Amino acid sequence: MIRCTIIVTEAFEGIYLNLSKQPGTTRFAESGWGWKPSGGGDTFTLDHTQIVQAQWSRAARGYEVKVLSRADGVIQLDGFQQEDFDRISRLFKVWYSINLDNKEHALRGWNWGKAEFGKAELAFNVQSRPAFEIPYSEISNTNLAGKNEVAVDFSLPADGNDTGTNGHLGGARARGKKAGGARDQLVEMRFYIPGTATKKEKKEDGED
Amino acid sequence: ALNGTEEKKFKRFESYKRDNQFPHQVKDLAIYVDRKAHTVILPIMGRPVPFHINTIKNASHTPEGEFTSLRINFLSPGQGVGRKDDQPFEDPTAHFIRSLTFRSRDIDRIEEITKQITDLKKDVVRREQEKKQMED
Repeated sequence: MIRCTIIVTEAFEGIYLNLSKQPGTTRFAESGWGWKPSGGGDTFTLDHTQIVQAQWSRAARGYEVKVLSRADGVIQLDGFQQEDFDRISRLFKVWYSINLDNKEHALRGWNWGKAEFGKAELAFNVQSRPAFEIPYSEISNTNLAGKNEVAVDFSLPADGNDTGTNGHLGGARARGKKAGGARDQLVEMRFYIPGTATKKEKKEDGED
Repeated sequence: ALNGTEEKKFKRFESYKRDNQFPHQVKDLAIYVDRKAHTVILPIMGRPVPFHINTIKNASHTPEGEFTSLRINFLSPGQGVGRKDDQPFEDPTAHFIRSLTFRSRDIDRIEEITKQITDLKKDVVRREQEKKQMED
């Protein structure tokens, strides 16, 4: 009897890695997953031991698998179909013992809610649903811009074509370069946070 | 009914109920004005994020070299400097997004978007006033 090892993979086409301009193929296997740009180039791979959390949400190109990794922070794969959810959540459970959380985002269009600090991201929640999340890796600076006003600056490459991956990975973006992947790039966000001014003053004076 | 002295009340609004109501243009990771939904959709970290026109105060853009910069200011408490701050809020103790600034190379398109936001804001405010006059 001949025994052979079969490496089982699940492949998905038309997937964008970290706001890449070009799509690629994502292949999941028991050992981890990889993304290869359709136009050729290096493959991005992530070992299964790197996966801390996984989330499923609607994104720009389609549905997104967002992975929180140990070494690389937040990794986004966009372009899945809604009906891929069952297949992907099953493989995450069976292969990685990770629950793929189906997270619906707030669509109300409100600008008020609660800014909450998670493990790797700042989330702006509207009625307990995130309206959006910002990975800390994409923030270059924050400062108190006025009374109760906090300004958050995003790290953007001086040259919009600089992806931080040296032209490899089909235009996928390294950490700190994500906002540059959009046609219109977010530069700054200002929050009105009631009560910040008094709290900050206390802290800056040292012990009170 | 009270005459003249009644307080301005906050009226609830909603951009979308389900994510399949997003216009297909959101895939471009660019700003899009959805007139039908009275909503401006902004790309934030790969996600289309709707903001209802009622949350927007104004929009302006400034060309800076090869980029143009678009700033959208939102309504939030504590902005009534020197005049009556009578804008009603559903929850004044919440955190508010006060402004978002984007940069883009598409100067003409950003100019058009600025105009679309300004026009939509004007139309919605005008319609609201007409409705109020008819109710009186």
